[in-house]
Amino acid sequence: MGSEVTFRIKRFDGEKSYWQTFKVPVYRGMTVLEGLYYIKENYDGTLAFRASCRMSVCGSCAIKINGKPRLACETQILSLGSSNIDIEPLDNFKVIKDLITDFEGFFKKHEHVKPYIIRKDDNYENPTEILQTPEQLYAYYDFTLCIKCGACYSVCPAAAREDYLGPAAITAAYRFNADSRDGGSEIRYALVCGDNGVWRCHFAAECSEVCPKQIDPAKAVQKMRVKAALHTIKSIFGW
Amino acid sequence: MSWTNWFRISGKSLFGIAFSLHRLTGVVLAIYLCMHLTYLTSLKFGKEFYESLIKTTVSPTFLVFDILLILAGVYHGVNGLRLILHEFGLAYESRRTLLYAAFVLTLVLWFVASYQMYRFVMGV
Repeated sequence: MGSEVTFRIKRFDGEKSYWQTFKVPVYRGMTVLEGLYYIKENYDGTLAFRASCRMSVCGSCAIKINGKPRLACETQILSLGSSNIDIEPLDNFKVIKDLITDFEGFFKKHEHVKPYIIRKDDNYENPTEILQTPEQLYAYYDFTLCIKCGACYSVCPAAAREDYLGPAAITAAYRFNADSRDGGSEIRYALVCGDNGVWRCHFAAECSEVCPKQIDPAKAVQKMRVKAALHTIKSIFGW
Repeated sequence: MSWTNWFRISGKSLFGIAFSLHRLTGVVLAIYLCMHLTYLTSLKFGKEFYESLIKTTVSPTFLVFDILLILAGVYHGVNGLRLILHEFGLAYESRRTLLYAAFVLTLVLWFVASYQMYRFVMGV
C-alpha cells in the first residue's frame, strides 16, 4: 500500500445521499479521524462529522468504517489494510448531515431506564458513606465503561425498529441493577420488561462484536432477560 | 422501515450471518409448512389425489429441493437450540465456540439426513 489512501465518504445534504472520494496522504499512526480532518481542511470544509475527545472516551466519532462501526479516533488507517476506505454514518440512526446522525432518541432511551442510583434513604443533609466490596464492584464494573457511542445500537437487527430500547440502554439498566448500592431494580425491571425491551433481542450478538470498549452488551441483555423473567414470574404469583 | 431491512445482514461477523440465515431458513420452513398443510388438506379430495401429489414431489427431480429443505430445517433447529441456551442466560462467554459447533453439527446432521433421503427416494 502506498502513502496515499482513498476515502470514499457517503454524504448527505439534507435531501439526497451520494458518495464522494478524496485522496488522503497517510503516515504511520494516522487515524481515520485525522484523515477526515485532513479532508475538511484541504478539500471540502462542508464535510460534517462529529468528534470531541480524540482518545476513545467521548464516543462522539463512531461511524461505519469499511462496513463496521468503529471509533474514528482510535482506528488507524494503516491497520485497516486497505487503500480504499469506505466511510458511512451509523445505521439505525437518522442522518442529519454527512456523517452526523441524530442521537436524540438513543439518549432518550438511555434516560428512560433511569441510569442512576436510586435509593430510599437519600439524605443530602447528612450524607453517609456507602461501602462496597471489590466483588460487589466487579459485578457491574465492565458495564460502566460504556461511552454511549451507539455502535452497538447501529448493528442491532432488532433496533431497526425505532421503539426497541437497544443494547446500550438495557446494558445501562443492568449495570445499575447489579450495583449493590442501588435500590431501583423493580422500577427498571418494569421498564425493560415491555415488548420494546429485553424480549425483542434476538441474540444476534453483533453488539458485542462491534463494541469499541469490549463491554459485551449481549451478555448484559441476556442477564437482564433472565432477571426480568424471574421478576415477571414473581410478580404474577405475588411472591 | 423498509421490508428489505428485514433481510439485511447486520454487521459483518459470523453472528450477524448466523442471525440472517436463521431468519431466512425460518421463512423457508414457514413456506414449507404451508405446502405441507396443503398436501394434508388434499386428502379431503381423495387418496388418489393425495398420492399423485406425493408422487410428484417425492421423486428424484425434487430430491435437490428436499436436501436443501433438510439443510434449512437442520440449521434452524440447531441454531435455535444454541439461541435458547444463550437466552436462558447460559454460555454466552463461549458463544463463538458454540457457533462453530452449531455449524459443524448442522453439516454433519445434514449429510446424514440427506444420505437417508437419497436412499429413500432413489430406492437404494
